[in-house]
Amino acid sequence: MTRIQIAATERSPEVDFDFETGRLSLRGESYPEDAAAFYGPLLQALRGHLAEGGQAPLAFEVALAYFNSSSAKALMNLFMPLEDAAAAGRPVTIRWLYAEGDDTIAEAGADFAADFEHAAFELAMEAQV
Amino acid sequence: MSTAETSPPAARRGGLRGSGPMRREDLLDTLGFADVAADVAGADAIMAPGALRGAARGRDLDSLTRTLFLRIYPVIAAVVLLTQAGIAWINHADQLRLHADRANLLASLTASALARPGWERAPEIFGPQLQALARDPAFRYAVLRDAAGALVGSAGERPQGRDWNRVQVSAELAGPGLAAGSLTVVLSAEELRDNAERQALLALGTSLVLMLAFVATLQRTVRRHVVAPLQRLLVAMRAVEHKRWTAVDLGGAYRPSNEIDAISQAFNSMVEGLRSGDEAKRLLQALETAHAELAAANRQVVESIGYARRIQASVLPERGALAASGVDLAVLYEPLHLVGGDYYWLEEIDGLCVIVVADCTGHGVPGAFLTLIVATALDRLLHERSLRSPAAILAGLDAMVRAQLRQDGRGAESDDGLDCGVCVFDPARRSLLFAGAGLSLTTIRAGAVEQVRGGRRGLGYPRTGREAPPESDTPVPVEPGTTFYLMTDGVTDQMGGAPGVRPKLLGRQGVAERLLARAAEGLDAQLAGLERDLAAYRGGELRRDDMTLVAFRLP
Repeated sequence: MTRIQIAATERSPEVDFDFETGRLSLRGESYPEDAAAFYGPLLQALRGHLAEGGQAPLAFEVALAYFNSSSAKALMNLFMPLEDAAAAGRPVTIRWLYAEGDDTIAEAGADFAADFEHAAFELAMEAQV
Repeated sequence: MSTAETSPPAARRGGLRGSGPMRREDLLDTLGFADVAADVAGADAIMAPGALRGAARGRDLDSLTRTLFLRIYPVIAAVVLLTQAGIAWINHADQLRLHADRANLLASLTASALARPGWERAPEIFGPQLQALARDPAFRYAVLRDAAGALVGSAGERPQGRDWNRVQVSAELAGPGLAAGSLTVVLSAEELRDNAERQALLALGTSLVLMLAFVATLQRTVRRHVVAPLQRLLVAMRAVEHKRWTAVDLGGAYRPSNEIDAISQAFNSMVEGLRSGDEAKRLLQALETAHAELAAANRQVVESIGYARRIQASVLPERGALAASGVDLAVLYEPLHLVGGDYYWLEEIDGLCVIVVADCTGHGVPGAFLTLIVATALDRLLHERSLRSPAAILAGLDAMVRAQLRQDGRGAESDDGLDCGVCVFDPARRSLLFAGAGLSLTTIRAGAVEQVRGGRRGLGYPRTGREAPPESDTPVPVEPGTTFYLMTDGVTDQMGGAPGVRPKLLGRQGVAERLLARAAEGLDAQLAGLERDLAAYRGGELRRDDMTLVAFRLP
């Protein structure tokens, strides 16, 4: 599986994991009834891709307007293997986007940033659409 | 044709060549017209009462054929008969005239031959002449009279009375020096009459043959072009009456100029319309059924959750549990779906006031399950292990939840946990200790909002090997006029904002501002006001999570 694309719903974000080009993105809101069921396959796919041992750069863009604590946990689970891959030398960039004035999301991004040592974590304000 | 073919000849009542009056039914039966009725009548068993019933029996079709036959045939027959009779009459009249001419010629020739002086006295003259006349096969009688009318001579037999079957002519015997007289010749017209009769019989026979040909043609034509298509149409109509959406098979022979084809086509369109309408109705009905089932299922679930809500409410503490210690306290507790993953605990124990707010992962029923685990664990930590340090309580909760959910082994089923904030107030020393895991303590004093941040990690969850070191207790200054707030993220995570702009989280800051604006109010009023503010902020957006806010002021 080289690409996972899932359209956004009211409760789940738009997913575009394009392992071929190394561009992954989550966009929208995330509070699925069962976060483990939603994020489980994504995590599996990510782990599977990382296990292939490629060294191409990976860029993970996260632009969530809201996520619940289960989703936060799931995000953490996605971030950890990325950080591990970065520690192993693979160029990994996490791009955390927040809307202008959305301090909560910005703060959450800052919290996540603290977990990254090897991967680049960019906190960027996204202009309002 | 089955009826006609399978009927033995003896069954033929009446008959075409019979002399008796023929009944219409007999004729139609005989000619095989009755099978339309018979075929369709065979389907009566499956007929239900309905508008098409009479028509579907085929009577109307039968009647149509009869009507066509009875209306058209007499006209044709009459025309044929009259025409033939007229021709026969004219022929007869012509023949009669020719016959008369012949008789006249005969009479005048004979009269001329006789016209000799003294003819009236010379039987040897007129005798052979009259006898010669008798050689004409049509000759009946000839009479020779003198001027006075006295019989001079005759041949043949004098016909008696008036008879249309003879031609009678007279010729005068006249000339200079001759005695006047007259010759009357009577010829038979019987041959002519026989001819006319033959011709009349021929006409009758012709009309009978014509009738046969007409009936056969009518039957074939009507059957092929009217009855059969109509029958197909009727069969389809009957099927449609029973809601079997059957189209008429036009067999590729569709001609727009043919009325029945056009009707069949229109019927097919109508059936298609009915079918889709019926389909829509059926779907709607199915939808309504499904909806009713869903409503019933939902009612059952809601009832069940209502029950669960009572259980969950029973594990929550009395809101006035700390009143005896002089703690002014208000609670906003709003599960998103009747039950939720938020939990709080208030207890005075050994002279200490314990205030706990927890936000378990998930909401609704799964969240509620976790709160029960947390409630049990907290009870054991406070009463069996007599923990009084907020950080120790958090660490204890972490271990107990993880143990309870078997998150320590590999491949744990559960990836659940909770955010938790614990405050322990010692009224005697007026000291407040706080420890948080993913949950902060907010304070408002003298118009300023401050935050005592807890650790970022929640409690529970399978170990990842990156756990932060356990939190330690944070002493919080207890100054008069300070209001403390422990809130779950459901309070701050309100999506909404200005209409027309992409919804944004209200955030901790937004909540703090709103609390600050109501800082002077009593705690209950403040929380009620906050709830209204939050609803106003959300506008059309729905709440995302359970909300719990415990506000307190210390004596």
